[in-house]
Amino acid sequence: MIVAENVEKRFGDALVLKRVNLRVEPGEVVTILGASGSGKSTLIRCINGLEALTGGRITVDGHDVSTKAGLVAARRASATVFQLFNLYPHMTALGNITLAPIEVLKLPKAEAEARARALLDKVGLGAQADAYPQQLSGGQRQRVGICRALAMQPRYLLLDEVTSALDPEMTGDVLRILAELAADGTTMVFVTHEIEFARHISSRIVFLEQGELIVDLPTAAFFAEDGGLAVPRIRQFLSKMKKD
Amino acid sequence: MRFWRVIEPYIGFLLQGFALTIAACLLAIAGAVLLGALTASMRSSGNRLVRGAANAYGDVFRNVPFLVQLFFFFYGLPELGIYIGAFETGVIAMSIAGGAFVSDVILSGILTVDAGVIDAAKVSGLSRVKIFTRVVLPIALRVSVRPMGSVLINLVLTSSILSTITVNELTGAAKIVAATTFKPFEVYAVLLVLYASLTTLLSFAISAVHRRLNRFMTGG
Amino acid sequence: MRYADFTPYDIVLLLQGLGVTLALFIGTTLIGLTIGLLLAVVHHYRVPGCRPVIVLVTEALKNSPVLVQLFLVFFGIPAFLHIRMTPVEAATLTISLNTAAFAFVVFRSGIESVDRDQIEAAEVFGLGRSQILRLVIAPQAAAFSVGPLVGILVNQLQVTSLISVIGVFDLTKIGNILNLRTLQPFIVWAVIGLIYYLAAKTLAHAGGRIEAALRRSVKWGGI
Ligand SMILES: Nc1ncnc2c1ncn2[C@@H]1O[C@H](COP(=O)(O)OP(=O)(O)OP(=O)(O)O)[C@@H](O)[C@H]1O
Ligand SMILES: [Mg+2]
Repeated sequence: MIVAENVEKRFGDALVLKRVNLRVEPGEVVTILGASGSGKSTLIRCINGLEALTGGRITVDGHDVSTKAGLVAARRASATVFQLFNLYPHMTALGNITLAPIEVLKLPKAEAEARARALLDKVGLGAQADAYPQQLSGGQRQRVGICRALAMQPRYLLLDEVTSALDPEMTGDVLRILAELAADGTTMVFVTHEIEFARHISSRIVFLEQGELIVDLPTAAFFAEDGGLAVPRIRQFLSKMKKD
Repeated sequence: MRFWRVIEPYIGFLLQGFALTIAACLLAIAGAVLLGALTASMRSSGNRLVRGAANAYGDVFRNVPFLVQLFFFFYGLPELGIYIGAFETGVIAMSIAGGAFVSDVILSGILTVDAGVIDAAKVSGLSRVKIFTRVVLPIALRVSVRPMGSVLINLVLTSSILSTITVNELTGAAKIVAATTFKPFEVYAVLLVLYASLTTLLSFAISAVHRRLNRFMTGG
Repeated sequence: MRYADFTPYDIVLLLQGLGVTLALFIGTTLIGLTIGLLLAVVHHYRVPGCRPVIVLVTEALKNSPVLVQLFLVFFGIPAFLHIRMTPVEAATLTISLNTAAFAFVVFRSGIESVDRDQIEAAEVFGLGRSQILRLVIAPQAAAFSVGPLVGILVNQLQVTSLISVIGVFDLTKIGNILNLRTLQPFIVWAVIGLIYYLAAKTLAHAGGRIEAALRRSVKWGGI
């Protein structure tokens, strides 16, 4: 379980997260919505320890990410997929996927590669195992990024706008894979602007507004007239999203 | 050709000198890369003292003539009771001087590594050491091939200065041949062309390595 | 006490050595920059037959050891042409040409980096070739070139230490003399190194100021 309690994050004078509380139970798909600059990425980066909290606490399966040992354990439990892929440019797809399993999980090379190939097959990239990131399209790169995350067999998958750098058709490819993962019961914390998709796969939706988590509802309730849509800010946000 | 007949008996001797030059340069570039990588990691350290020491080393050895550095070690080391040969002294001096330049090269290579890529390595649970050796350094070294190549070429040119401390590398050997044959113009002219060809060939090789290693890298 | 200790007179010796080093450095810099600039201009105007020769010679100078160049000039040329040459003459000739080779490359790219459009625009305004060179290319090329030139000169200052090998009594040669006399290599070479270091830093600092001033004037007085 991921638990964020009264999380606060400042960058200098700017208060970017204000007393945010969030719980993600195993098996859930939680989508974080919010306008640009509302703090979605920052929240994800606090969960995976890329940013240090300035207040409050985050635990992943009970491991406090602000302690050294806790962070190591928390990072074992979760994996992240990035908006701009962040693949290792000097390694092939296979190298990208097997690096951490070999170095961190201490898997034998052959086993790590066998697993990686199986993952690549699953996302339709079986033939691209030996390609370097530069030789792949954006959608292919992001699928490698997803494989790299899954190869660590994480209990939680953190995804920050993983399709917003992609063309519509490539977006479809990636979303299909994520939908399969959700159907398989993978726990996900998902930042996206793809409202329809979020509605389709999420069990819960939370809404960030200028660093405050103002709404946290099951998906159906979030889109109900007497639920999330009763909040003017959310109605406004959703209608603006539809127009785009 | 008259010159060839004069020079012929010394070819073996000159080739020995050439071998010594190559040996000195290879050892020195290895030493320089080791020292440079160490210094670069010290310069990106959080500790001010460590950073300051590394910066001072780079600053001093880049702003003092190599000849002076070489004399410092050649005459100074025996004072400390360290008796090593002139060749070894030369290699050490070249490594130390080269390391000052290599640390610059590697440091700027490290700075080009995309922060997002390092984030990805961090969240995957890799240790700091592993992130440096498996991700940051390999990427930095790839973008550093060209500037590192210039350091190597400079070391080749610098190695001629070892002749001043009795090392008979290529220049030292040529000096002896020039004196014994009374043909200094011909000998030094050929020597100059030899060095220029060697460094030019090296720079072609470096470009080829750069292209090969950066085939699939952004901006390569 | 070993051999012979340091004496107050050694300071005078050091100053003399520094004087020789600086005089030779300044002299060869002036000659070298002038030749380098001339070569760049000749290269720019595609004087027939000159380009390959200039490129070949400057590349050879840049890609061979200065020590070998010094030996060629000091030992080789007098033997070949049966003329006399003093160490100072040989040193001046060699270092000047060497500086010229590096300066040529800087000036050439300085000239090339001046936007071709600007030259065309100047031509439209009816400026002649020499006017374009003087009014358009020169000021901007100078601003582009100062940074790299300072780097080269800091390097050439260190290169001058090699002239001690052919017997010029520069700072390094004084180091040799003191080293032999006092047998205190650590002190002698540390002091010599420190003097070179300070000279290099002063030069780099002055160069930085000139560059800043030039960039400002080009920006404001821009065309
Ligand atoms: N490293 C940083 N230093 C200073 N301010 C930062 C930093 N990172 C983020 N911020 C600020 O924090 C706020 C929240 O940023 P964040 O990236 O979390 O927003 P977001 O909700 O992910 O937006 P988007 O939808 O555009 O990705 C913004 O105002 C941003 O400028
Ligand atoms: Mg974001």
